[in-house]
Amino acid sequence: MNHDASAALLDTVQQHVANGLPLRIVGGNSKSFLGRVSESAEEMTTLSVAEHRGVTNYEPTELVMSARSGTPLSLVIDTLKQSGQQLPFDPPQLPGATLGGTLACGLSGPVRPYCGAVRDHTLGTRVISGKGEDLAFGGEVMKNVAGYDVSRVQIGAYGTLGVLLDVSLKVLPLPETTRTLAFEQSEHDCSAMVKLARHFLPVTGAALIGSRRYIRLAGSDAGVQAAASELGGDAVDDAPWDALRDFTHTFFQDERPTWRISVADYTPKLAIPDDKDGSPASVLYDWGGAQRWVKTTLPAQEIFALAASANGHATRFSSASVGDATHQPIEGVAARLQTQLRTSFDPQRLLNRGRFHPELDT
Amino acid sequence: MAANPETVLSRRDKRKQYAAELRALTPTGQILHSDEDLRPYESDGLTLFKAAPLVVVLPASVEEVQAVLKWASERSVPVVARGAGTGLSGGALPHEDGILLGLAKFNQILELNPEHGYARVQPGVRNLAISDAARPHGLYYAPDPSSQIACTIGGNVAENSGGVHCLKYGLTVHNILAIKVVTIEGELLTIGAPGCDDAGYDLMALLTGSEGMLAVTVEVMVKLLPVPPLAKLVMAAFDSVEDAGDAVGRVIAEGIIPAGLELMDNPAIRAAEDFAGCGYPVDAAAVLLCELDGTEAEVEAQIGRVSDVFNASNAKTLHIANSEEERLLLWKGRKSAFPAVGRLSPDYYCIDGTIPRRELSKVLARMDELSKEFNLRIANVFHAGDGNLHPLILYDASIEGESERTERLGSEILQLCVAVGGTVTGEHGVGVEKINEMCVQFDTHTLEQFHAVKAAFDPNGLLNPGKVVPTLQRCAEFGAMHVHKGQLPHPDIERF
Repeated sequence: MNHDASAALLDTVQQHVANGLPLRIVGGNSKSFLGRVSESAEEMTTLSVAEHRGVTNYEPTELVMSARSGTPLSLVIDTLKQSGQQLPFDPPQLPGATLGGTLACGLSGPVRPYCGAVRDHTLGTRVISGKGEDLAFGGEVMKNVAGYDVSRVQIGAYGTLGVLLDVSLKVLPLPETTRTLAFEQSEHDCSAMVKLARHFLPVTGAALIGSRRYIRLAGSDAGVQAAASELGGDAVDDAPWDALRDFTHTFFQDERPTWRISVADYTPKLAIPDDKDGSPASVLYDWGGAQRWVKTTLPAQEIFALAASANGHATRFSSASVGDATHQPIEGVAARLQTQLRTSFDPQRLLNRGRFHPELDT
Repeated sequence: MAANPETVLSRRDKRKQYAAELRALTPTGQILHSDEDLRPYESDGLTLFKAAPLVVVLPASVEEVQAVLKWASERSVPVVARGAGTGLSGGALPHEDGILLGLAKFNQILELNPEHGYARVQPGVRNLAISDAARPHGLYYAPDPSSQIACTIGGNVAENSGGVHCLKYGLTVHNILAIKVVTIEGELLTIGAPGCDDAGYDLMALLTGSEGMLAVTVEVMVKLLPVPPLAKLVMAAFDSVEDAGDAVGRVIAEGIIPAGLELMDNPAIRAAEDFAGCGYPVDAAAVLLCELDGTEAEVEAQIGRVSDVFNASNAKTLHIANSEEERLLLWKGRKSAFPAVGRLSPDYYCIDGTIPRRELSKVLARMDELSKEFNLRIANVFHAGDGNLHPLILYDASIEGESERTERLGSEILQLCVAVGGTVTGEHGVGVEKINEMCVQFDTHTLEQFHAVKAAFDPNGLLNPGKVVPTLQRCAEFGAMHVHKGQLPHPDIERF
């Protein structure tokens, strides 16, 4: 069902701008567990973009799809599949997820280190700024350096730089074949995955779960066959990729909070202290070691310190209580520049106030 | 320049004063301020525009860059940063009342880490030098702009440079991990991270391609990729550009993403063949160069399919490079298309629009009409895989009025690109060159937002002022010109 709700959305935002009232942007509400819960969240008006939906331009041979932000992600994926194509960053397919929410949260699946992130495939966006203006950046073509690359900056900004209305993405063909191999491996040892990343092979996934290392190959039948023979290992039919992508893997059933720590893949095992009750943290390595999922009850500040000491950053990936820290604090000159950037798009801090980095909302 | 002797004198005094102050701030660097020394810096690769800065400063350390920018900020002096000066849009055109900050002395590879797949390099390192240093380890830096032998990584970051292989391997923004930059206030900060992403807003994406308007890059951490074990090049000749364009769409529809997919029209084929003697079929209306890379098994599987597609698209001849030498020679022809065309004509002007590929025939047909209308020849090279079109307008600057006619034709072509859903610049940047056409592509609110983004980083507008984003007043003037269909009503108005 196609519907252009941009005029109504613009009207609502403009009214709130005039009255200085904040807005909570919601697509499918499938990722409500992400981000900070601000003290005033309850009182904020919800701006629902789910009605603004539909694929507006898709020409498979151009490798570009444009769609409204409220378009269900499942519809986007199905439409692409019918033409043998895919979203190259394979985002989480949470029930009800919209395309806009996926981009605003900047989430990419296990394929990310090999085929790029959401931002890498974002070509253009149309957004409503926090000034109530209808803005269009980038375009529908693959190469475009006219003006600042504001479209990519919208990705992962949690809506705080604009309400996404329309987006254009680069899409790619689905591989002919996909195969997953498994290997025995010492726990916490990412070295084999790091080594593999320096070799030219059609790898599209590498994860270490406990003492089992999984490698996914994708490409032409002949290419995958040849790479599989070279690598050895056991062929598996219970590949973990979809479960890792959608946070449904048994690892995520541990009731402790989930943290995502983003570091360079070659970063050694992080020295994460045990919980107060003596339980050790549980760690799962995806993205060849660059995305580490951690289950722990450690206080946020300790996790941030750990991530910072490893030249990375941490984000909480499970529902937080009001006021809990969820994102790595930004400091110094970077904080000033990012705050000024936020100001340039949303001077009154109306869009998703308090949801992202609170230090940028001051 | 104004003839008023007072102005001349004060300019000279200012130059002397700036030079003295900057010399004190850059003890290990170099200051240039004589007319003779400044001349090489008057323009970049776009020689249509020239201006002399007051002083050229070539700092030799990050601390010196910080000191120079802090000084500029305190004195309200415009700063234009420059790498190798190979840019094609005037992005490094000096500001007459400002200083030119040359980063040529930052030419060291600081760290090459083959195990971890990255290199940390200074901004003045040449693009190709990175791959040359990495190759013994079986690695390379993917973006390969045609000027890669001379252009520097700092300039690549500023322009978000691509290259003939970017269809598969992406642009600069996809191949760098982190940058160290100095703000106009002289503060040093790191943007990005050695991992896959960083906290907060994606400033890496914002700064890449920002054309020196937001900060000055002083270090770049680039990704190094494994060299593909095998690369094969298929060359197909066609009797019509339309067939060649269709063939490109069909390759993509087959689910194949070639490493490079380039199209040349007949004038470009002839020029390149004449220049490089690489064996192009000079009687063809269009030639496609299609490179496939990967493991041997992948490449062998794809080469047959691509050949079938070309045959089905009425290719009149098909040739697979027999050797690595021949493959490189065929690429050399393409990469030297610009200088090759330069031999056909005293001057040429390279345009850089991107269009949805399906509009290719329409755009080429309209360009043919424009070529006749303006009485100027056009040769076309086309990054066909990603729709980036480079029409080369042949002209003679010594013929009165021909430069102006060329500029106007270029502007018409860019507006044509926007009209079919494309953009005024695919990879060369806006610089000073396409600033008027930005008014055609973006509306008032969006242009104002660009100005606001600039102000977030550079509140007093000292970094590369007057480039990239037009003032609304300028757009009003440019808009007025269009009412008159390209006939300039006020030729004396400063347009660039």
